[in-house]
Amino acid sequence: MDRRIPLTIVLVLGIIMMLQFFIPSRPSETFFTDIFVRWGLLLYIFALIPSVGSLIRHHWRKLSARKQGWAYSIVTLIGLFGMILIGFLDREHVLAKVKAAGLFRTLFLNVQVPMQASMFGILAFYMASASYRAFRARTLEATLLLVAAFIVMFGVIPFGAFVWNKIPFISEWFLEVPNMAAKRGIRFGVGLGIAATSLKIILGIERSWMGGGGKK
Amino acid sequence: MNWIQALFKIDRRILFLLIAAAVIIPLVRPLGLPTAVTIHAQHLFDAVDRIPPRTKPVLLSMDYSPSVMPELQPMSLAVIRHCLAKKIPIIVMTLDPTGLGLAEDALHRAVSEYPDAKEGVDYALVGFKVGYYLVIISIGQSFQATFPTDAAGHPSKEVPILTNIKNYDDIGLVVTIAGSAIVESWIVFAVTRYHTTLGAGITAVSSADYYPFLQTGQLCGMLAGMKGGAEYEELLAKHDYSHAPKRASQGMDAISSAHILIMIFIVLGNIGYFIGRRKKA
Repeated sequence: MDRRIPLTIVLVLGIIMMLQFFIPSRPSETFFTDIFVRWGLLLYIFALIPSVGSLIRHHWRKLSARKQGWAYSIVTLIGLFGMILIGFLDREHVLAKVKAAGLFRTLFLNVQVPMQASMFGILAFYMASASYRAFRARTLEATLLLVAAFIVMFGVIPFGAFVWNKIPFISEWFLEVPNMAAKRGIRFGVGLGIAATSLKIILGIERSWMGGGGKK
Repeated sequence: MNWIQALFKIDRRILFLLIAAAVIIPLVRPLGLPTAVTIHAQHLFDAVDRIPPRTKPVLLSMDYSPSVMPELQPMSLAVIRHCLAKKIPIIVMTLDPTGLGLAEDALHRAVSEYPDAKEGVDYALVGFKVGYYLVIISIGQSFQATFPTDAAGHPSKEVPILTNIKNYDDIGLVVTIAGSAIVESWIVFAVTRYHTTLGAGITAVSSADYYPFLQTGQLCGMLAGMKGGAEYEELLAKHDYSHAPKRASQGMDAISSAHILIMIFIVLGNIGYFIGRRKKA
């Protein structure tokens, strides 16, 4: 019985939302706004509560049990609560005119931004190392990939055009013709897959979203 | 023969040092290589440029976090500069919770270069709204209900630039600068459902995914990676809209040298692989 309720909600709302898309009338649009957008936004906001709670619980447990890397949990929790607190205390600056700079913005621009950008930047080093060790022309397909990658890489940098001014056009051709053909095929496949999976969920055939390993 | 073998088995730390040098040296001593403008960047520039001054605003959605800021922030700055220089009203929003700080920073930098620009008249920051694609749909239903106030808390009905915005019909162009697949949500809902004109700025790594949307016209133009930002900067300078330091163009020198070094690594790795295979045979 407890599983029939969510399955019925999904079945009814799924069919209604499908029909609504093909009915371009005022009542249909109003229904869409009231049900889908407003309820959806509310769900998004309330979803923050379990997600933040889960983060706090995870790090608190790690800290209490002194598990490996527990010191990092202190940093996470201080960062989380510290920024919330500063956000409230520095409210005037956070919500002030664009020109104003408060402690919250100073911390964001001088701590969070460089840290996140550096984490992403480190990828360049691993990519360089991986390309040296793993990018091999072992098969015909790998060789084609290698040649295409070379042309595209050379075409997107100014140095490529400096060496030969036709390189950017050849690179663009690779992106606009073979790449686009492949991407379109993949997207059609993904679209059909999404439609099939959605139908399975709406009709109650696919139930793993309810937890419990999809048992009936 | 030993030195050849050593060339094919370079220590990882040496590779890291070489990459660091390839990135840092061009930043300190720029090469100043010219950037060729692609047709997609030109189309986005033209789409913004076609909007008459002091008419419908551009809605710029900065949907990215600081991790991709070096790549995408120059694009946002370039679009804001373009609008401020041409007196096209610009409304800045974000669908990423960390995007608000970046949006504030971009506006702060750009506005300081155009002292005539007035907050609330020439530009407005409406801030972050939770909900991703639901916000995109919600703007189509009612902009005022989606953003009842700007980021500073002023009621939208009292902010001149926002007063007459009901939905996408009152917006000249939507530009999303994104480091995620949110561009697809803009395409699906803002373009397909509400028939708005959309341009995009995306990371280089995801640019290949969006070529089908350029062909169908669902994207009116696209800036791809730091190169896209550099192209827009070139166009701004060419049309005399901005002569601010070209951050993306400076970055392109570093990207050029790093790309060349990676290509050399790949060639070396493959030569070593073929020599090794021949030996085994």
